[in-house]
Amino acid sequence: MKKIINLVLMVVLVFSLVVFSSSASTNSNPLSDVRVRQAIAYAIDMKTISATLFDGKVIPANSLTPDGEWKVSRLNNYDYNPEKAKELLKEAGWDPNYVLDVVYYYTDQITVDLMTVIQEYLADVGIKITFRRLEGDLPAQLWVKPSDPVNGPASVKWDLAYAANAALAMHEYYNRFKGGAASNSHTPTDTKLDALIAATNETADVAKQKAAFYELQKYENEQLFAIPLYYQQAFIYESNRVNRKGILYGNEQFFYDWRIIDWDVMPDKNGENVLYSNRGPVEFFDITAVNPALTMPNKFLFDRLIVADENLSPKKGQLASEYMVSKDGLTIEFILRKGVTWHDGKPFTAEDVKFTVEYLSKVPQLNAVAGETFSFLEGYNDYINGKSDGISGIVIDGNKVTFKFVKLAPNALLIFSQWPPLPKHLLEGTDPLKAQQAKYWQAPVGTGPFKIGEVNMNNYATFVRYEKYWDKGTGNIEKIHLYPSGDGEENLVINAEAGKVDYAFGKIVENAKAIEKMEHMKIIPINIRYTRLFYVNKFPKTK
Amino acid sequence: MERTIALFLVKNYNRGVVVVISYAIRRILVLIPTLFVVTFFVFTGLELTPGDAVSYMVSPDVLANISPESLEQLRESLGLNDPFIVRYFKWMGGVFKGDFGYSLSSGVPISEIVFDRLPATLELSIAALLISTLLGSILGTVSALKKGGMVDNILTFIGMIGVSIPQFFFGLVAILIFSFKLGLFPVGGRILPGHEAFLDRLPYLILPSLVLGLTMSAGVMRYSRSSMLETLNKEYIKTARSKGLPEWRVNFIHGFRASLSPVIVLIGFRLPMLIGGSVVIEYIFQWPGIGKEFVAAVRFQNIPLVMMIALFMVFSVLIASLLIDIFTAMLDPRIRLE
Repeated sequence: MKKIINLVLMVVLVFSLVVFSSSASTNSNPLSDVRVRQAIAYAIDMKTISATLFDGKVIPANSLTPDGEWKVSRLNNYDYNPEKAKELLKEAGWDPNYVLDVVYYYTDQITVDLMTVIQEYLADVGIKITFRRLEGDLPAQLWVKPSDPVNGPASVKWDLAYAANAALAMHEYYNRFKGGAASNSHTPTDTKLDALIAATNETADVAKQKAAFYELQKYENEQLFAIPLYYQQAFIYESNRVNRKGILYGNEQFFYDWRIIDWDVMPDKNGENVLYSNRGPVEFFDITAVNPALTMPNKFLFDRLIVADENLSPKKGQLASEYMVSKDGLTIEFILRKGVTWHDGKPFTAEDVKFTVEYLSKVPQLNAVAGETFSFLEGYNDYINGKSDGISGIVIDGNKVTFKFVKLAPNALLIFSQWPPLPKHLLEGTDPLKAQQAKYWQAPVGTGPFKIGEVNMNNYATFVRYEKYWDKGTGNIEKIHLYPSGDGEENLVINAEAGKVDYAFGKIVENAKAIEKMEHMKIIPINIRYTRLFYVNKFPKTK
Repeated sequence: MERTIALFLVKNYNRGVVVVISYAIRRILVLIPTLFVVTFFVFTGLELTPGDAVSYMVSPDVLANISPESLEQLRESLGLNDPFIVRYFKWMGGVFKGDFGYSLSSGVPISEIVFDRLPATLELSIAALLISTLLGSILGTVSALKKGGMVDNILTFIGMIGVSIPQFFFGLVAILIFSFKLGLFPVGGRILPGHEAFLDRLPYLILPSLVLGLTMSAGVMRYSRSSMLETLNKEYIKTARSKGLPEWRVNFIHGFRASLSPVIVLIGFRLPMLIGGSVVIEYIFQWPGIGKEFVAAVRFQNIPLVMMIALFMVFSVLIASLLIDIFTAMLDPRIRLE
């Protein structure tokens, strides 16, 4: 009898260990139960929503990672299955009177429509939700981590937050789910999840990184610590005046080897080879801190040390004629291209490269991945804390710049393919805390193929070929004319209809639907790293 | 001070001018505390709206990736962490010294931004005001003179449509017909590189000013019609007729002039639009004016810019009110400036 009891106890213990090790623990918040999260995923028919509400212009998601080489195959798609959802809710002991508080911050009508549809789908399986739009200080309402990242309670009020996860580097999708991460207001520390995330950050080897992400995605797919909804696409718009000569399309939201210097454009009504576009400055040119390539002028005003291919994999040198990465990945050397000058004629030097990293390191808006990469440099902390005048891990020797990291920075090359060097002689002495307010950003001077011709803020901005640009393209564009559009896609449709747009990009589905009807315009949909999802607040909530 | 000026004026000008000027001075003196109170309310209103400038500097999708410490640093550097009352008096102190501050988003001096956008707004507003005043008062008068006839009915119908149709709809229809279908005018914008003279800009001005002017005309026309009808029933008009004056003289010299008073009030209250601009029209026609800038500044909590534009608007409302009083007194002998 004693043996039987021992055996039963042993079985219970092993079972508990298996369950405990394969899923995060639950608490008083019903959303901490994985079955409830899975039920929500099963209850929403994303395929139908994609086909109807979004006119087929979004792709239903089964992971934060979009489809492609970085995603493991055979994940559970959580295809629409209300019966399964009801079953899971029953197992989880779901209280049908519990009302989930869903929040979002988008101002468009399609978000309200989507929330309404989801409300109906969830009601069908017995889940009540209310939804509301957040305004004002969003980080304070969305991303405040609890003082106890293991047990909570939550520092935010919502249950589900409809938001986007826009990633340059794959790590951006998952690092924010680490236990105690700065903006992790939603996911209690889960040691297994933390270990899987850590594995993706421990190597710069692409094959090893992919393998680590595959494991992480399997766990994500099973646990649904966030509920992925759909992948948004970017749309590239081109008029029939433009000929890109077969150059591959990439993610226009980031820098890639698009070689605008090889593009041809047909003469406009004045007989000039002008490329017309939107996203011209309204009050200032955007500082290259958050996402440098998102605003149009940065795309041709600045070159980077290296250039990425259309999949954003670092491809070859640009301002650096060559670059070497040490075997342990802790040292990167750039040999700068000779003869490169800024648009004001001053030579581009290694000092500019060093200055840029040091300057951006103190800019509060700096992108998190770039900030993390720079923070791994030797002497970074001393520099930030004012103990030294510069980052000792950046060493200059003539036209060679060496970056020495104390910890592996898996995205270093990606960062150097996106964040362009800035001119030390024009920015030195300005306050990095007020970087966007520097006069430089009223008419930036870069190293790219086009320089500023004329800026009439809020009316137009023109850019002309930089005659001393180091690379000679085969294209014929003499001038680029940008119309101002503060929000990126403002007036895009009306200007496209009027023939005032030869090239543009955006994500707004309604604009894509309107422009695709125009005979003189072509739309190229591009898969991008931009996932819309529900963040799920799994911390116990205070009453 | 006021007395000295008045005495000086008495010696040099006639009594009517003296009354107007001394009245204007008194009103301007009252204007200062009014501005003070109104700007305080505007500042308080902005303070009560959720978030601050930093909340809108970075896209919400990206905000999740920026640490709270960095955002706090940004707030500190922009002086947003000071108590509300300190910030208000800092701003007010700057205004008294002629320093209107800097845009929180770009660091550009506010005065530079405002004076950069103001010509565009003035250009559009003055054109629209002229169109609406001329068209509205003439058509309103004609409508009154032809009361009950076909012309009156047609004009009344047009007036009702003009009052009812939202500006954005009218603007979009105008673009569709006159820009896309007929190709007569550009779809929007104001200036092209190398074409900055007024005549070069004129094609860009015509459509938005016509749309704005025509939508404003409807109101003027309705006011003008009822005012003219009321005037035509007055005893002195009947007296003028009985004295044998020609009908055109009765209508246009005696009737039209007196009927202008309420119309002047309406037009006067539209004067602040010269500063505030017409936000809807500026958006639809991509017109780089102050109204559009104001909306963007409110949206992004760019407080120094909002305050400067608000100050201008309040000032223009108060000045317009003063001008209305003066003009109505000049037009209508029964009204006296006290």
